[in-house]
Amino acid sequence: MGTLEKLAVLADGAKYDVSCASSGVNKHNQGGIGNSKSFGICHTWSADGRCVSLLKILLTNYCIYNCNYCVNRNQNDIPRASFTPREVADLTIQFYRRNYIEGLFLSSGIERSPNHTMERIYQVLDILRHEYHFYGYIHVKVIPGADPALVNKTGLLADRMSINIEQPTEQSLKLLAPQKTLPVLFAPMNQIHHQMTQNASERKIFRHVQKFVPAGQSTQMIVGASKDSDLSIIKATETLYNRFQLKRVYYSAYVPVNEGPNLPALSTSPPLLREHRLYQADWLLRFYSFKADEIVNEQSPFLDTDFDPKISWALRNMQLFPLEINQASYEELLRIPGVGVTSAQRIIRQRRLGNISYNHLKKMGVVLKRAKYFITCQGCYYGGIPAESALVRQALTPVAKPVQLCLF
Amino acid sequence: MDYLYDGSFDGLLTSIYYSYYEQKAHGIYPEASYQFNMFTPSTVIQSDPVLAARVYDAIDRKISVYSLMQIYYVYLSNNPAKENLILKYLQLGFQLGPKIDSIHSHPEVLPIRQTAKKVSFEAERFLGLLRFTDTGSYLYAVLEPDHNILILLADHFADRLAGERFIIHDKKRNLAIICNKKEWYLSDSSEEAAIPDSETEQFYQELWAKYFTRISIENRKNKKLQSHFVPQRYRHNLVEFRKSELL
Repeated sequence: MGTLEKLAVLADGAKYDVSCASSGVNKHNQGGIGNSKSFGICHTWSADGRCVSLLKILLTNYCIYNCNYCVNRNQNDIPRASFTPREVADLTIQFYRRNYIEGLFLSSGIERSPNHTMERIYQVLDILRHEYHFYGYIHVKVIPGADPALVNKTGLLADRMSINIEQPTEQSLKLLAPQKTLPVLFAPMNQIHHQMTQNASERKIFRHVQKFVPAGQSTQMIVGASKDSDLSIIKATETLYNRFQLKRVYYSAYVPVNEGPNLPALSTSPPLLREHRLYQADWLLRFYSFKADEIVNEQSPFLDTDFDPKISWALRNMQLFPLEINQASYEELLRIPGVGVTSAQRIIRQRRLGNISYNHLKKMGVVLKRAKYFITCQGCYYGGIPAESALVRQALTPVAKPVQLCLF
Repeated sequence: MDYLYDGSFDGLLTSIYYSYYEQKAHGIYPEASYQFNMFTPSTVIQSDPVLAARVYDAIDRKISVYSLMQIYYVYLSNNPAKENLILKYLQLGFQLGPKIDSIHSHPEVLPIRQTAKKVSFEAERFLGLLRFTDTGSYLYAVLEPDHNILILLADHFADRLAGERFIIHDKKRNLAIICNKKEWYLSDSSEEAAIPDSETEQFYQELWAKYFTRISIENRKNKKLQSHFVPQRYRHNLVEFRKSELL
């Protein structure tokens, strides 16, 4: 099989992994090729509108596992291929020189054994870092069950590592990926977290200690393959952030690729809106200091589809509003629907020089269409209707677009 | 009095110097595109690096580095009124000092922020949307950006591709960044490189186009979103769009 066919097969197998960030680490070229920017650089956008930043491929799509949701499970009859470590390294360098990509995202099916696969992943990184002196971004998947020593030496060469937990609960994992269990997935996550912390404190004393996974670790959960509620997904996310200090948790709307009794029908379309709402909720956890039970709870375990999670929260807590823009604290400002991190910071800075009027707010980037029901500006309320949950809810509900009726 | 300058950043700063120490400028315009009229007298300003450096330092000391950067970005923009936006912004800046960085919604400040943001956004976008072709002896990239962002890309690529010779060519303005493995310089004329159709180059272009089409998920197709991120006007310089007929 030629490189072209192999690339097609192995890109196909990797595309359901959503993570493609190249952010989190600033690196200069130190006599070789490549550098990294902490803001991350997207190089192009594919026909589904997703950013392409890294060469995202599998080392092999042969797999000993048979996870129900996975396109590469061993009982699927699909074209199989493997790259040699050198092929992957050469491809990365040639694409990188032409500025097609920001680096490499290397995942793999598990061929023969976890250790065998992990060793080959390490070889790719070894060639890239030590032979080509490549300073670009590398994200690798950790193969659960691989020897911790192997994980450790790979981590010293990678920028980011990730272990996909795929399902938020033990039950759905048992149902859909019976060969995997949460403790087996958590073990390497814990190891990486532990070593990152240790590495950080060592680097305080010895500046030349090699960095271990400098861009942190991330994970992914599939949404919609099992019956898990948004509550369990968001709770699991919060636990992951708190327990392992993950940089990101990704959500991937399940695209039906396999048939099975425990899976949604092949005709089901991916729950894209639900995925979008989960990302919004994730943002609230990471940047707006919300707690998981403020976003969803036992009474309403699913996120509202009509409203983003911040509006839903605000509508449930109307007693806290309206807030005076000229007095609210930064944390309070962040909780106003229509006010983001940037506009909240602008408000705080400009407030030091004088009062902020309602006209100023729009120019600062505040979305007044949403915010006006939740704020007062120099004592005045501009919402036009009483700030009561039911009324505001009605005013904010998106109006269905009128459809031209057909005469015939 | 209208001041006419040669279009360089130094020239613009020199005009600002004269506006403070000689006669107040009514407006500053590039000499090449100035429309003369009977009622406003105009004078041509010779750009002077020494006077320009004094204004540059004054902005840095009395206002802020941030403001200086914002002005430079606005200078690189294609906004036809950019010189006067900068002039008014600096007049306010020299009154207020560093405080000017906090009053985002002020009528003299907001257009500067908005224009500078457009420029820096486009520059960041091209860190990704630039495609090099390997001609055999050097790497060659061509771009046609809305704003004059070429110079903002130079350091990034000189660091990234240290050890390679490369040319980044702004076809619209006929400017080029030329890098000889270590240092780079800006050249104000450049020929489009004659690119030999080498087999290896074709091979990698095909690989990339193939990868690009395979990585997208059919059930999630969203062309509108894609157009939002990669506007049509950039596409003819991008291998993956040219090859996969998504232009």
